[in-house]
Amino acid sequence: MNIQEYISSGIIESYVLGLASPEERAEFENNCSQYPELITARIAFEETLENTAKKNAIAPPTGTKEHIIQQLGITGKTITMSLTPVRRMNGLKYAVAACLVLLAGSLYWNISMVRKNNSLTATLDSTNTKLKGVDEKMKGYENDMSMIVQNPNVRMAYMKGMPQSPQSFTTVYWDTTSHDVYLMVNNLPAPASDKQYQLWAILNNKPVDMGIFDMEDLAIRKRPMLIQLKKAQSAQAFAITLEKKGGSTAPEGQMYVMGYL
Amino acid sequence: MADKTKYSEEELVSLLQQQDAPAFNYLYDNYSGALFGIINGIVPDKEITADILQEVFVNIWKKITSYDPAKGRLFTWMLNVARNASIDKLRSRGYQDSLKNQPLTGDVNTGGAVAVVNPRTDDVGLKKILTKLKPEQRVLIDLSYFQGFTHDEISKALNIPLGTVKTRIRAALILLRTMIQ
Repeated sequence: MNIQEYISSGIIESYVLGLASPEERAEFENNCSQYPELITARIAFEETLENTAKKNAIAPPTGTKEHIIQQLGITGKTITMSLTPVRRMNGLKYAVAACLVLLAGSLYWNISMVRKNNSLTATLDSTNTKLKGVDEKMKGYENDMSMIVQNPNVRMAYMKGMPQSPQSFTTVYWDTTSHDVYLMVNNLPAPASDKQYQLWAILNNKPVDMGIFDMEDLAIRKRPMLIQLKKAQSAQAFAITLEKKGGSTAPEGQMYVMGYL
Repeated sequence: MADKTKYSEEELVSLLQQQDAPAFNYLYDNYSGALFGIINGIVPDKEITADILQEVFVNIWKKITSYDPAKGRLFTWMLNVARNASIDKLRSRGYQDSLKNQPLTGDVNTGGAVAVVNPRTDDVGLKKILTKLKPEQRVLIDLSYFQGFTHDEISKALNIPLGTVKTRIRAALILLRTMIQ
């Protein structure tokens, strides 16, 4: 190929001005890699073209540059090579990114709310159970209190500790109409495992069995304060002795407390 | 405002590819006038050329990484970005619609798919030189360079053999080059 002929064929002008066909472009670029003078000639025309364009320059309207810079979001800061290239986002991408952030935030919020809700529900269940227990206990106290304080037919006996256990102290409430007997254990020492306390009604110096009781009864029974024992038709005094397990027909063990109505 | 810094073309391209703001300032200050001249040479409607210039600089900023120095100088690349944007605007639906209400004033009606060749007396820059060409050459340069039709399209529209279109255009370009030098 005669390269000078090729150079002066108009291909350079055609290529530089963007008028060459894709085949012509490919051929031209291929020739450039083989003939440095072709590149020199191309650059010469490009420089001519640039100079001509600069001679025929028209000043753009003022404010165009600022408008472009604003549109591109160029901040005026120099971005160094070491940084990853700034990916410019258009409005839609910002919107999508914002939505994703909001969605993630919403999901996190939802999950944490569900967890919190579960935790609160568990606490509430536990609190309700406790409240139910407290409520039942309160009703028990109320019943006991009304028995002791408000029932006009009830008589009571303070049963004081005997010399062997002066700290012991119990109270008996006796309903004179229903003959019900209730015992309040204010203070009694815990009995040995093979022993049980037994209440006696004393009428004309004779003890009548009112039944055995365990301290645990206070916890088991609905009435937290009072233990209901056998009915007493009549009594002048009450006493508690510590008997063998199961109780005795007549008091055999040591007397802990005693009191008159 | 004008930055005294002078970049070599290599430095300028490298900085632009790193999205360097001062380099963009330099690019605009040094080339916006030349590119605006190119755009005004292609698009007769002066009301939209500023918009096109804006679009051109946005494209340059966004596509600078695709610029290949082996294929040409930076200005040549930018010139073609400006030319393509201008021709795209001329061919856009909105622009074509805006022309419908205007009378056709062209002196050479080529018919068919090819639009009216419409060299205007107040044309500027490169297009001004066109008036020195012979009419048959002027038509070809106008259609190919200023309106962006391919040689093949011109060949079919003007019913001239493709080889002849190519030869005439090249001859016209060589002539134009001697005129601008």
